[in-house]
Amino acid sequence: MRISRSWNPMLVPKALLVLAVAFLLAPFIVVLGASFDPATEFHVAFPPRGISLGGYETIPWRYAVATGVSLLVGLSVAVLATLVGTAAAFGLVRGRVVGRETLQAFFRLPVQIPFVVTGAVFLQFYYQLAPLTGVNLLDGIGGLVIAHVFVAIPYSVGSVSAVLARFDPALEEAAEILGATRWGTFCQVTLPIIRPGVMAGAFYAFVVSFGDVPVALFLVAGRWTTLPVQIFQDMQFDFRPSMLAVSSLVAVVSLIAIFGVQKLAGFEVASAREGGKS
Amino acid sequence: MRRSSVHWERFLWVALTISLVLLVLPQANFIVLSFHADTGLGQVSDELTLENYVRLFIDPFYLHAFWLTVYLSALSAGSALLLGFPAAYALARIGGWIAPAILGLVLTTSLITIVVKLMGLNIILGPLGMLNNQAGVLIGLVQYTLPLIVVLLFGVVQTIPVALEEAAAILGATRRATFWRVLLPNARPGLVSSGLIAFNMCMGAFTSAVLLGGGRVRTVPVLIQQMIIQDTNYARGAALSTALVAFVFLLNLIVVAMISRSSRHAH
Repeated sequence: MRISRSWNPMLVPKALLVLAVAFLLAPFIVVLGASFDPATEFHVAFPPRGISLGGYETIPWRYAVATGVSLLVGLSVAVLATLVGTAAAFGLVRGRVVGRETLQAFFRLPVQIPFVVTGAVFLQFYYQLAPLTGVNLLDGIGGLVIAHVFVAIPYSVGSVSAVLARFDPALEEAAEILGATRWGTFCQVTLPIIRPGVMAGAFYAFVVSFGDVPVALFLVAGRWTTLPVQIFQDMQFDFRPSMLAVSSLVAVVSLIAIFGVQKLAGFEVASAREGGKS
Repeated sequence: MRRSSVHWERFLWVALTISLVLLVLPQANFIVLSFHADTGLGQVSDELTLENYVRLFIDPFYLHAFWLTVYLSALSAGSALLLGFPAAYALARIGGWIAPAILGLVLTTSLITIVVKLMGLNIILGPLGMLNNQAGVLIGLVQYTLPLIVVLLFGVVQTIPVALEEAAAILGATRRATFWRVLLPNARPGLVSSGLIAFNMCMGAFTSAVLLGGGRVRTVPVLIQQMIIQDTNYARGAALSTALVAFVFLLNLIVVAMISRSSRHAH
């Protein structure tokens, strides 16, 4: 079937594929390499001039605190966004609803608003809300969690809707005919089948929350600073070798976690993007 | 039909109420704010005014910021397409186990928090003289959108049968003709929609623009943050944000209208 000429027609696309992958991996490789450089002050070297764990030993405690805050926020966001998103998906796919497509478009809106704008919008909202309700959502992580849930709901709606749309209702009918209660059917038939979609949505909700800078920059301060915001601020004002160490740890742990979660939860990131950037 | 007795739409009403509250109340408050005049120290006047918006249209500073944002977004979306389309094409045609593996790797790079990536780019671009200028921001934006572009276009290329290209080759088409007459027309809708998604992401990109532009590349998202956090000019910041969202929305409407018109002409 080959119309052979002097060179392989796949050569150029393949070369560009290698280039694209190398381009995307380069920043991570450089950070990992430079984190072992023995520098102690305002100097970055790649390839490293030696091997040193100095950067790792001098990681300030505030990064550990920030990691804890980010995990707490991310997990809360994943749970809340999944609850709201799954409810929406069931209604959208199975309910008797007029204007289904308009509603689906409505649920995608939050990802179409730039994150900086979302951050500014919620900041102003909390300013107005505080004197009216006596609750200051900017004190602590409550305000950030709410804003992140807003941004993350579309991911959950999208990925749960996708699995629900492929769901064969005959399975539920069979369970009910065989005497299962409605709740039993839901827990033992419906939930296991839609689980990959639910988990993928929760995973993306967590990823969006854990990685976010622009929204969190407006909504957290002091003790409740998240990890990306901490790194962001130190990169601008106070660059130290320990930041390379922190970033390397974040990259490696994220990598392991991403693969681990996929295996455990039974979905693939590459195919779970359905609810994402519309 | 027992099943029809489950009122699934009730779940939707709960979710919809929450989403509406989270969208409408904060946005409405913000938009109203943009119609007040700033009186300094984070305070605004009581009466309504269009002043904030008028300033955006007549002040060259803001016009330039909008132009710069559009220019960088279009250029980086275009570059990401130029690199991402051949890469996605190679990936889709290689197939097997290796394609999903590479795709997973590419996507994983976009799931790790962007500050790590930007730190690496800082180290790479510094010695090349591409830091704190537009070139650096451009590279950062391509890094930001390329993974998604590759994933989206991989899906597009997969839907174009290899047989089409083989048929063209057998019928005597050169590789160049096959590319322009077979591959590109089939991939066009996918290219346009992924390019638009990349463009939209760049129009709102904040972190890359700040960390690689060093505060010197003032795109609209960078200005919004400066105006609200540093200048505490909330009203002007709100107007700028609202204008950005409206502008991107309109631009998308225009592009979609143009596409549906040109595809109607084609048939």
